[in-house]
Amino acid sequence: MSASTLVLTVLAGLSAASVLFLVASGLSLVFGALRVINMAHGSLYMVAAFLTTAIVKFFSQPTIGFVLALVLAPAAVALIGALIEVLVLRRLYGREHLLQLLATYALVLVFAGGVRIVFGSQNLIVRPPEFLTGGVSLGTLTFPTYKFFLMFAALVVAAGLYVLLYRTTLGRNIRAAVADPELLNASGVNVARLFTTVFMIGAGLAALGGVLISPDQAVGLGMDTDVLVAAFAISVIGGLGSLMGSFVGALIVGLATSFGIMFPQTSRWSLAFIFVLMAVVLMIRPWGLFGRPETS
Amino acid sequence: MPGLARLRTPEGLRWVAAAVLVAFAVALPPLAGLVEIVSPDSISANFTVGVLGTSALVLALWAISYNLMLGYTGMVSFAHAAYYGIGAYTVALLYQDMHWTVLQGLVLSPLVAGLAGLITGFISLRAVRLYFSLLTLAISQVCYVIAFEWYSFTGGDNGIHGISLPDFLSNPTVLYYFIAGVVAVCLVIMFGLVRSPFGAALLAIRENRLRAASIGLNVKRYELAVFTISSAFAGVAGALFAIYDNQAFPDLMKWTESAHPIVVTLLGGSGTFLGPALGAAVYTWLANSVGKSLPAQFDIVLGAIVLGIVLAAPGGLGSALDGLRRLAARRSGWREPEKGAGDREALGRIDVSKILAIRPPKPPAERSSGATLLRVEGLNKRFGGLKAVDGVSLKVLEGRRHAVIGPNGAGKSTLFNLLTGQIRPDSGKVVFGGIDITGRRPHQLSRFGIGRAFQITNIFPKLTVLQNLQYSMLAHRGDTVRPFGIADRRYRDEATQLLEVVGLGPVSSLHAGLLSHGDQRALELAISLALGTRLLLLDEPTAGMSPYETKRAMELVNGVVAQQGLTLLFCEHDMDIVFGIADVVTVMHQGSVLAEGSPEAIRANPEVQRIYLGDVDLDTPQTGAGASA
Repeated sequence: MSASTLVLTVLAGLSAASVLFLVASGLSLVFGALRVINMAHGSLYMVAAFLTTAIVKFFSQPTIGFVLALVLAPAAVALIGALIEVLVLRRLYGREHLLQLLATYALVLVFAGGVRIVFGSQNLIVRPPEFLTGGVSLGTLTFPTYKFFLMFAALVVAAGLYVLLYRTTLGRNIRAAVADPELLNASGVNVARLFTTVFMIGAGLAALGGVLISPDQAVGLGMDTDVLVAAFAISVIGGLGSLMGSFVGALIVGLATSFGIMFPQTSRWSLAFIFVLMAVVLMIRPWGLFGRPETS
Repeated sequence: MPGLARLRTPEGLRWVAAAVLVAFAVALPPLAGLVEIVSPDSISANFTVGVLGTSALVLALWAISYNLMLGYTGMVSFAHAAYYGIGAYTVALLYQDMHWTVLQGLVLSPLVAGLAGLITGFISLRAVRLYFSLLTLAISQVCYVIAFEWYSFTGGDNGIHGISLPDFLSNPTVLYYFIAGVVAVCLVIMFGLVRSPFGAALLAIRENRLRAASIGLNVKRYELAVFTISSAFAGVAGALFAIYDNQAFPDLMKWTESAHPIVVTLLGGSGTFLGPALGAAVYTWLANSVGKSLPAQFDIVLGAIVLGIVLAAPGGLGSALDGLRRLAARRSGWREPEKGAGDREALGRIDVSKILAIRPPKPPAERSSGATLLRVEGLNKRFGGLKAVDGVSLKVLEGRRHAVIGPNGAGKSTLFNLLTGQIRPDSGKVVFGGIDITGRRPHQLSRFGIGRAFQITNIFPKLTVLQNLQYSMLAHRGDTVRPFGIADRRYRDEATQLLEVVGLGPVSSLHAGLLSHGDQRALELAISLALGTRLLLLDEPTAGMSPYETKRAMELVNGVVAQQGLTLLFCEHDMDIVFGIADVVTVMHQGSVLAEGSPEAIRANPEVQRIYLGDVDLDTPQTGAGASA
């Protein structure tokens, strides 16, 4: 492997990790605070990607359309998230995990059907905004500008999440919910509203991932479960409920995938490799690299 | 007629429904033929029988095997499609590469799928519940990738096609009855399994994992067993698929394919054995009508059904039966528990002398020998920087009533969790009856005779009161390894007798979760007695009880302990109770033992008084002023 291929592989891995981080951090945040694994998390990502295609098409001007989609799609999906939290999840807190898994799984089916009715089953393409097309040259190499933008966006969101969690009252309450939901309940915080807010943020993060991925990859049915499975792997490796875990987990999965694809001997197995990695981590550290063991 | 009356009970209705379902499956081919004659325009009989009928049967088998996990053990697996796929590939590969007939492949399929289930189940069951579900998802994806990418072995994404059947199976009706026969054999085996003592263990695990362990069940091992069995039957279902569809392909193994057994199980009701079969029939019909013309709408309908069931009736048909049971109990004089209605509760009806009549006290030689029953040496447990239990040593003598007290955060609960194997100590030793039991797990401890009542009442809420006791006895006596026999018929008399004496006779057929708090405590005690406990550990036995309940409960415990020669180790905040019962008191403070001695000595100890900061006036317990919650 030459030095230039190595650089390209690392960059490709980092840009893949960027979108995965956005999606996984939302999943992880929701789990941390609400103790619910949202199986429909990938569906929210897919809905946002399809919304992006519609918004960009509507404005027929890729730059304006995309910039608007970056705001509108996450907002719309966050509202959908609020509805899910209020109408479905709220009735299932404190019940068996089994019911929460099944309920959010039912939503996967509902969203898949809904998207298919509204957008059809064809793959759709979104053109990136003009100022992000083309490539950046690194000596003898060029690398797509848009992929750099993905990394930049992920870093901005990561920093934003850090500030939100560690520098604001809302963040303090969320962290309290992660650490001890019962105590939070007793401390006068409006837990119902906090949970709705957290779920909206989680949904918004999934949606942001969906918007950002759409110029980079065809938008189609099936992207919901693909990203969900990857986000699960990341969360499990990094530890559910940990921001740092999502970050490191996304890096591991992103880089492992891009390095796996580089070699002809391993490219076919790169997907399987991630799950083997996930299984190994779960066996050695069932709560993930950065998670905390769940107390019964 | 008494026979007809029995059919009107919930159990009877189940049998009627099952009979109708079986009759329908048997009569489908002639019925379809009849429909074809009457209205030739409708779908052909060959299609109804050969495609819809066979696929519904296979789906029923697949879903019922799934329900062994979902409904009977409470496990959500997303890997069930993998074992179905493995079954299909077993038939297809043996046919293609070894020129085996599909029948030989069918016979081998449960073994291959079961072995795969055993290995992958062992891996995924290292994690608990939610993480288990995520691991099964990963495993399913790995199986899918292997099937998809390993061209030389599996044919890759093309799959394997053109599996031909022996001549006698070429007629759709014969094929239908052949598949029906195989499915029937599998269902009979599974039905036997869920009613057996083994099935009782699964129900206990579903209801309450923690409690299941404390009645002596090795939870993980049972979960692995049911995972393996379930995989094996999924393998049979997959093999049958390869037989009627003549092919195997990677998409069979995708984790999203596990939606089929999940939806079908919920559709028909996870609370009943044949419920998923009904679900399979409805699902097949829906998929063929709505699903064909409007595939997107079909997804939404399925989602809505699952969502509706989860939100409205999570127990499926099981919860409806619960309502009927409640109604029946009310007719026979039982009333819904009310808060503070102590006088109507079982605790008020308990007569300790009656317990002793049934379980006579042990001869004095056997009890109160004064020998050390439990010895704790230098036990340590830290959580991060906090030394929760710091070098605790104590001795509990046989036949004594030993209390552990201390302010909040003194490490009492951690100590109890260490003793009962809920958590492992960092260092130190626990010796029970001369045997080193350090770090043993709860299910092993209950075999030695260490019983535990929990700070939160811990029973099996959706099992009947009688089953709570019966299953505890089954588990404790090691009967739950048996996959045959009928669990509900075992130890019935013994359990009923025990329930009579703890005053729970009138409510024995009620779900335990419906009982009042005090009644549930009485049930817990009965379970401990049923387990042949020598050392009873009580963690704040009276927490959350009304003063009346507290008084009765402690009289009961005290009476039983004294007369049965049990040894009692308890922690409690209520000083009246501590000083009223205990022979020996150990005081803990900040993780270590501060003092130990007779109640009088402890009461006079200035050190002890100081740590309570006057919170509790240890000198005047009889006035009741010292009681603190």
